Amino acid sequence: METLSEQTLRGGNRDWPHLPQIVPLGDSALLVRFGQSLDDAANRAALAFAARVQSDAIGGVSEVVPSLVSVLVRYDPTVIGPVRLAGELGLRLDSNGMQENTQVQHIAVRFDGPDLAEVAGVLGLSPDAFVAAHNRSGLRVLTTGFAPGFVYCGLHDSALTVPRRALVRPVVPAGSVLFAAGQTAITSTEVPTGWHVIGHTDFRNFDALQNPPTRLRAGDELIFEVVP
Amino acid sequence: MIARIRIQRAGPLCTVQDLGRPGHLAHGVSASGPMDRAAYILAGMWWEASDDAGVEFTQAGIDIVLEAGQLPVGWAGGVFAVRLNGELLSWPGKCTLAAGDRLSVTPGPAGNYGYLRFGGTMNVPDVLGSKSTSTRARLGGLAGRALQTGDFLEFQGEHGRPDGAVPPTPNAEAKGPIHFIWGIHAEKFAPAVRRNFVEVPFRVSAAMDRMGVRLVDENGVFAGASILSLISDPIMPGDIQILGDGTPIVLMRDHQPTGGYPRIGTIVSADLDRFAQIRPGETVAFAPVSVDHAHRLLGSRKA
Repeated sequence: METLSEQTLRGGNRDWPHLPQIVPLGDSALLVRFGQSLDDAANRAALAFAARVQSDAIGGVSEVVPSLVSVLVRYDPTVIGPVRLAGELGLRLDSNGMQENTQVQHIAVRFDGPDLAEVAGVLGLSPDAFVAAHNRSGLRVLTTGFAPGFVYCGLHDSALTVPRRALVRPVVPAGSVLFAAGQTAITSTEVPTGWHVIGHTDFRNFDALQNPPTRLRAGDELIFEVVP
Repeated sequence: MIARIRIQRAGPLCTVQDLGRPGHLAHGVSASGPMDRAAYILAGMWWEASDDAGVEFTQAGIDIVLEAGQLPVGWAGGVFAVRLNGELLSWPGKCTLAAGDRLSVTPGPAGNYGYLRFGGTMNVPDVLGSKSTSTRARLGGLAGRALQTGDFLEFQGEHGRPDGAVPPTPNAEAKGPIHFIWGIHAEKFAPAVRRNFVEVPFRVSAAMDRMGVRLVDENGVFAGASILSLISDPIMPGDIQILGDGTPIVLMRDHQPTGGYPRIGTIVSADLDRFAQIRPGETVAFAPVSVDHAHRLLGSRKA
């Protein structure tokens, strides 16, 4: 029988000085953290680690979920305990940090969102100049989350960073292109959002009848193209 | 043989559920599945039913009428009143419906969720490997929505045996605190806040659904303890998150896939069914356990 104290898993640290860090999330999952705020290197490390754990499978692991700067690893506690799983995960942490098999996807966007002019104005740009700057950034899919097929894409240059809106819109349609916090997001379903709506696309990332149900994978490179 | 039931009366948020669709969190889809998993399984055991979907109903209950065919039905979860053509039957229990029979489930003394399981395969398509409804993601069940008065459900084949083994009597409802494991942001809370969290009770509010259960923090444990701007991480059912205004919310089966509010703890798997059945207005106390202890609890509940 394995024994384990939370302190062991947490490394006995209060303030996350050591990264990556493996912590329990409930009794059927471990969370592997690569950062405590959004940055490109931590995201790349998390995605590369998730890909490694998926390709180099561990018995008893039921699901691997890459997120912005962390990876959730769900396990069946009747098959593997958290101490042994943490050890197996640790062995896979020293990967080269490269994620393979990413794709380049083109997303055609009509930049006609209700918040476009305001966002451009805040950044001191004309709407056209903002769109040009937005599309110049090399964006990657950072993660999928919040809602089915909802992708967070980034990271934009710090000069293109605006905060979220003060007010949440109760619903925006599928295909909305959103902008805030140094990222662009694309909705695949109707969702509420506090992000700025800068445009819309016919691209739909989520189809429940397909397997897998999403077309974009975390790590894919995105090229945004203007639909006049 | 095809059996067809008509939903004669549906309380709010009655849904088609099976054991859920785990494995799609990376696509932004949470697993859904029964709020009280053990009760769902028990309701199916009466007829040695297949793994096929059943109906989850809420406190107000549900009335169904069999319009055609013959259909074994089992029920369990919480304590409701159930009548076949007006005659009171035991809870949990079972019967076989004949054409024209009306099964009526009305509010009882305990619980928020109950289940009807059937001796047949529900004629509802699998979506991502499951018939479970997520009204949040608009997936599964009947077009991703809750059941409504006037809906029909059809069943094919016969799975149960009328003389199926009688399931074990459900364990006497476990009492006492809800066990949890300290959460991924527990260290972000001051020691005094963490201490208070396990020492004072919270009240379950009426703001509860399959996505989450809001608690009332009557003792002000989280007053002024707000922690802002955490990066989003994946969510699991049972996560206890604290909103910016100090409101605790326990995330349930239709949880959002990711979230950025601080999480002080995660309810252990063995206690999540019991938590889901705590009614609005009742109090709940939380007790921390280790991951090992949580696994032992899981083993003992299954035995």
